[in-house]
Amino acid sequence: MEEDCRPLLSSEPTGESYSHRGSTGSLDIRTKRPFYVEPRNIVSDDLQERISAEAAILNSRVHYYSRLTGSSDTVLSPPNHVIPTAEEIYIYSPLGTAFKVPDSVQASKNPSIVTIFAIWNTMMGTSILSIPWGIKQAGFTMGIIILIFTGLLMLYCCYIVIKSPKAIKVEDTSNWEFPDVCRFYFGKFGQWSSLFFSMVSLVGAMVVYWVLMSNFLYNTGQFMYNHANNVNTSDSEFGTNGSERVICPYPKTNPGRNDTTSTLCQITIGNDTSGSSFEHYWSKTNTIPLYLIILLLPLLCFRSASFFARFTFFGTISVVYLIVLVTIKAAHLGFHLEFHWLDPSQFYVPEFRLLFPQLTGVLTLAFFIHNCIITLMKSNKKQENNVRDLSLAYLLVGGTYMYVGVLIFAAFPSPPLSKDCIEPNFLDNFSSSDVLVFVARVCLLFQMITVYPLLGYLVRVQIMGQLFGNHYPSFLHILVLNIAIVGAGVLMAMFYPNIGSIIRFSGAICGLALVFLLPALVHMISLKQQGKLTWLSIVFHSFLILLGVANLLAQFFM
Amino acid sequence: MSSSAMKKKVLLMGKSGSGKTSMRSIIFANYIARDTRRLGATSKTKQNLFKSNSFLKDVFANCNLKKNLHFLLTLVDVEHSHVRFLGNLVLNLWDCGGQDTFMENYFTSQRDNIFRNVEVLIYVFDVESRELEKDMHYYQSCLEAILQNSPDAKVFCLVHKMDLVQEDQRDLIFKEREEDLKRLSRPLACTCFRTSIWDETLYKAWSSIVYQLIPNVQQLETNLRNFAQIIEADEVLLFERATFLVISHYQCKEQRDAHRFEKISNIIKQFKLSCSKLAASFQSMEVRNSNFAAFIDVFTSNTYVMVIMSDPSIPSAATLINIRNARKHFEKLERVDGPKHSLHMRMR
Repeated sequence: MEEDCRPLLSSEPTGESYSHRGSTGSLDIRTKRPFYVEPRNIVSDDLQERISAEAAILNSRVHYYSRLTGSSDTVLSPPNHVIPTAEEIYIYSPLGTAFKVPDSVQASKNPSIVTIFAIWNTMMGTSILSIPWGIKQAGFTMGIIILIFTGLLMLYCCYIVIKSPKAIKVEDTSNWEFPDVCRFYFGKFGQWSSLFFSMVSLVGAMVVYWVLMSNFLYNTGQFMYNHANNVNTSDSEFGTNGSERVICPYPKTNPGRNDTTSTLCQITIGNDTSGSSFEHYWSKTNTIPLYLIILLLPLLCFRSASFFARFTFFGTISVVYLIVLVTIKAAHLGFHLEFHWLDPSQFYVPEFRLLFPQLTGVLTLAFFIHNCIITLMKSNKKQENNVRDLSLAYLLVGGTYMYVGVLIFAAFPSPPLSKDCIEPNFLDNFSSSDVLVFVARVCLLFQMITVYPLLGYLVRVQIMGQLFGNHYPSFLHILVLNIAIVGAGVLMAMFYPNIGSIIRFSGAICGLALVFLLPALVHMISLKQQGKLTWLSIVFHSFLILLGVANLLAQFFM
Repeated sequence: MSSSAMKKKVLLMGKSGSGKTSMRSIIFANYIARDTRRLGATSKTKQNLFKSNSFLKDVFANCNLKKNLHFLLTLVDVEHSHVRFLGNLVLNLWDCGGQDTFMENYFTSQRDNIFRNVEVLIYVFDVESRELEKDMHYYQSCLEAILQNSPDAKVFCLVHKMDLVQEDQRDLIFKEREEDLKRLSRPLACTCFRTSIWDETLYKAWSSIVYQLIPNVQQLETNLRNFAQIIEADEVLLFERATFLVISHYQCKEQRDAHRFEKISNIIKQFKLSCSKLAASFQSMEVRNSNFAAFIDVFTSNTYVMVIMSDPSIPSAATLINIRNARKHFEKLERVDGPKHSLHMRMR
């Protein structure tokens, strides 16, 4: 009733709902708001648009509407939600250049130490569990050399990724990520291929997560069952005796081994499978992957993932706990190292093995951060220190991997067990009744349950955004996508739960495109455009690309 | 009123505050402030006047008027805008939705006058309105009146102020409203658009509306294409005369800017506003540089044309002669419809 009493149109916009947005203080700001963008240059046939189409047409509207009312009249003044955000507003000089308004109330910039920690935190994934296995596959000495070498190589590739947007002068790249750079240089093909390979790494990670979650859930349940029923499992598993028990879940028949030992292993394995009904319903490969569907598929269908983003600190706690765990175990077990350079022995592996590409595959995923490094580096307070901070972060990550890998490998009790027993998930080498490891498994399980929907959200946003232009086209689309991803995870967990293989294949595939091929090509093209391309550069970067291809091919043959 | 009773009307109706005046001023390039100063009392003031004056209230309460229909109208209209477009359509703006029952009695008799000779009804809904039931109720009343007085009228519904809705919800909300409106409008067929003055939807909606009101528009389009190909133009646009809405266009190759029609309309309307300050009226314009030449000129009685040539070596005179000759041809097309000035579309 009150609305009807107000005049239809007046100089004070009390009746329009537009004016209800924002406080009365903003009324003054709106009349003074200088949202004027100079029209683009129509003289030269410049294909590059300096302003977005939406900003251009909004500017045309604002110009026109301002002619229709008096200058003090804010009836047709653009409301807050229509004006582009501060990041998208430019100031044009009459000479034709444009620059952004430096936002004084910008997102807080972080000191170097925080940036380094953020990069470390993001890179530390579950591939830490596979590093000891990788070192075992490559041989101890060769493993260390490869870890250092691959770390440096990926650091260089990361460096050219963060340099790539700065080389583009014709467009404003301050909000770009590496896929946008690829789109700039290679058009639709670049955009789609970088998207596809990003998806490979994300979906690969999600499959690994499912396998690991099944593993940890199984062990947790097994621990609690054994604890409740006071079952002693030391007889049924092949392992060391003593206070620190290390087991070998799948002892392989070895030319140097006794036949009796191997038959003993087979009998013990046989005992495991004819289990009680608990083991029938609580089986690592048969039933648990399916139980997880009930828990995780609904979580994946949530519209927004901001709830799960709160739990990212769990990842840090888990990694720190793992480091502490590894130190304790190594201290208790002591070092067992013998150097056999090229020939295999009963308990040790050679120092140089032909299976080393498996380690490079794992490390490609372990050091992978190239699809989001630009965003992480943007919040660094002193941008000139970016390279230094990135190097420090890589050093820290490499150091952590090296520490865990070397300690587990060295501390693995070799006289009773062969180094070949190191599992792709090194926690599998500890019995399910081990309390410290049980805590590690629970932490990691919880962390993965909270990160899994985040990864699912990233996949969904990228795929749905590219295919349908809408992040949530309909519940049916999302459900189909989630069922596909969960199905892949369940199938892998049931029939091929070897996380070492999954990690190395997905690492090599996405590494080929996003670490080696695309950054090297982009770098070479931008150098060529600047006229700084030398023969040495071409040779070096082509060699990088070849390394990436060789990495991928070697995964199939080794 | 009697002379305008012969003219066909375009009714722009909706609840007060739904954005009709802003919309009208933007589409027809009228100054808003100037109008309100010129206007006498608006509806609100009149309502207040009636409310406070008990004598008038008694007079109307005792009036022996039919009150068999719940037809609620408040009188606004001083916005008998002198906007004519498409030949001789007059735009009338009405607010729908007063609550005073004594007004109801008084205006029921005006209802027939208001709804007679209506060519087009454009009803504006505010998407943020909290009184959906009431809005639908008023809309239905208007439709009943239309059915009684001008059953051939075209009905358009605009769901306005869509920029206030979150982007991912807009399609959903609009679809819901459209279904309801189509259902309520039976047996009349209504066309629904979602609009906001802050994006291209308002322009496109009004372009569609005007497109449907131009007589022989498809013939015009075919001939336009032939015309463009003959004179080797890059693009030819056809504008409605009063609103400079692009009715149809022909382009010989893909153009980069999808918003160019609205931009051109805005520029020309601003130019017209400047001209009117000098009591001059805009007739034609030529813009030329080393890359292109553009000509805007009067075309037929309802339209303007804009021709864009990307070959600057063709002299202006040649293009202007071509446009003049085409004008004669197109006028014949319009005149074929005869002096009846019937604005119903004829499918030939």
